[in-house]
Amino acid sequence: MLAANAKEIWNNLRGVICVYKPAGIKCNQIRKSIINAVCSGLDKLEVRPPGEYIQIEGDTTKELNIVKKVNLADDVLVVGPRYQFGDVSCSWSSYLGPNTSGVLLLGINDGTKAAKIIRENRLARTYKVRGILGEATDTYFKDGKVVERSTFRFIKLSHIEKLLTSMQAAHQKKMFELCGVDNQSQAAYELAIRGLIRPASSKIPVLYGIKCVNFQSPQFTIEVQCINEYEMYLKTLIHDIGVQLHSTAYCSEIQCIRHGHFTIDDALLRKHWTLENIYTNMEEMNKKLLLHEDMLRQNSPILQ
Amino acid sequence: MLIKKVQFATTNHFHTFFRCLSAVIQKRVPDNGIEATELELVNPQNDTPMKKSPLEKCTEDLSEISPYFMPTFNFAAYVNKSETLQELLKLGVNLYKLEKKVTVVPLILKLDFEKNVKPLVTFLHEFGVPINEIGHFITKNPFIFKEDLENMEARINYLFSKKFTKEMILRIVTLNPFWLNFSIERIDKRLGFFQQNYTLKGNEVRTLATISPKLITYNLRQIKANTFAIKEEMGFDEDEVKSLLLSTPKIFMKDQNGVLKTFEFIHKTMGISHDMILKVPEILTFREFRIKERHTYLETLGKAQYNPREPNYVALVSLAGGSDADFCDKVAKTSVHSFNIFLKTL
Repeated sequence: MLAANAKEIWNNLRGVICVYKPAGIKCNQIRKSIINAVCSGLDKLEVRPPGEYIQIEGDTTKELNIVKKVNLADDVLVVGPRYQFGDVSCSWSSYLGPNTSGVLLLGINDGTKAAKIIRENRLARTYKVRGILGEATDTYFKDGKVVERSTFRFIKLSHIEKLLTSMQAAHQKKMFELCGVDNQSQAAYELAIRGLIRPASSKIPVLYGIKCVNFQSPQFTIEVQCINEYEMYLKTLIHDIGVQLHSTAYCSEIQCIRHGHFTIDDALLRKHWTLENIYTNMEEMNKKLLLHEDMLRQNSPILQ
Repeated sequence: MLIKKVQFATTNHFHTFFRCLSAVIQKRVPDNGIEATELELVNPQNDTPMKKSPLEKCTEDLSEISPYFMPTFNFAAYVNKSETLQELLKLGVNLYKLEKKVTVVPLILKLDFEKNVKPLVTFLHEFGVPINEIGHFITKNPFIFKEDLENMEARINYLFSKKFTKEMILRIVTLNPFWLNFSIERIDKRLGFFQQNYTLKGNEVRTLATISPKLITYNLRQIKANTFAIKEEMGFDEDEVKSLLLSTPKIFMKDQNGVLKTFEFIHKTMGISHDMILKVPEILTFREFRIKERHTYLETLGKAQYNPREPNYVALVSLAGGSDADFCDKVAKTSVHSFNIFLKTL
């Protein structure tokens, strides 16, 4: 249970929280609802009472008397609630597109710095992306207009697996090219023995692992570990898989199941976005950040 | 009380500053009053200035002299001095909300408690509006101060003449503070609009106005758009629209796209007929995601059965309404925890 005093909570309300973003709403809407939840929660607690108003009254030719009153100009009804929307700062550490659901990290107050560092450190994210074979839409997503139909019954799980392995290999090769070292050089070897590496640029998406986790024709689900990706990139990935399988495919669901060490189990559901839950979640997430120091302080380009 | 609205061209011209001269100030210190050598005071009797040396001991009572109120963005600067604002505060008026509307601020500052506020409060209280509701009433509709009490009385008498009972009118006035700002002609037109467009009988108009007073003064464009959506896009016929209006007027005031989304999910995905929806019209007031979450959960459990003629049927009310704990306990018959885990797969 939370302390009854709002100030105490407010002073400790700094850190990163992990929320579950539902598909269909934008990150900014989530940010607003979180801030509103924090403000309304704090205002329900015991807040600062209005201050004193000191008035000097009386005839100036005689002794003046000093009167202490409650300062009405500091009343909640006059200056508004003690904690207001503009008081809380909140920002995300990775933007998820409107059609994506899943783990979203938000920094609150001082935690926005940690959120920024997490964003700049480019932690790997894991997605579950569902595709549907046999149709292509103009937006590459289920909400688009169908522009093409094709046969898909001939596609087997082995076909998809074969394709995904070659895609993964191509991306690993690209990873070295992005580092600016010659593939045949000693430098490339030195990098390679240390493990997977991060690209220097923050613009180019890199896939580290991609595999099919579920296949029930025409539906298939792939799990992707990647860096620098964005929603449209994952949609086109599904489209490309469809084309390379000599058929067509569109994306029907994108879910981020992991961001760094934050998993879907830590995420707060929409119905739990209240001050108390946010506060306890923040405590847990801050502990997690301490436990895995590499999320905030990186010493090497190697993917952890 | 004298108000001067000063617009500062040099600062951001979107902000309006208000300068208020309180009635407290009787003697006015002229703008050039403080000079290097002498203080000039205006003699109220015969405007000739009496010259006084600043070194001379002041024998006059200066307590009534105070500086001008400085231009400000909010009521907080005036509230310790102004009696009217203090009385409004005692009534529970949320001044913070009022000052967000730029036109309201000069309106409130011009008020005199004895002359403007007291008659209105006594009028409302004598009519039966509870005293703790009046603050909320003024917060919602500060423009009530622009209206004449006689006009308001006439508007209430109009409702009596239309056979509204006292309880009905009291409910209307308390729930919709804006009602009394509407002229008799406008209200008459509005009631006529509902009576004609939805073929309501006199009694039905009265119940509609009583159960949802906000609907009568609501933006007609929204109501027309929603009627179009319900009639043409959802495919309800005239009689059905009427029964929807009388049972859940709320759906005529919501955003039509949201209502349409909910309807499409219920009708197309869940396969529920128009007749069934008409029996439980509240279901259209819920947002789509709420019904979607619970329906897909029931579907994975194999319990999504909405036909009342078959066994194990799920009532639509219990599907959408109530807390998640109630839903899991009574309908899905699983733990809330497993429902939460399911929600994280969507």
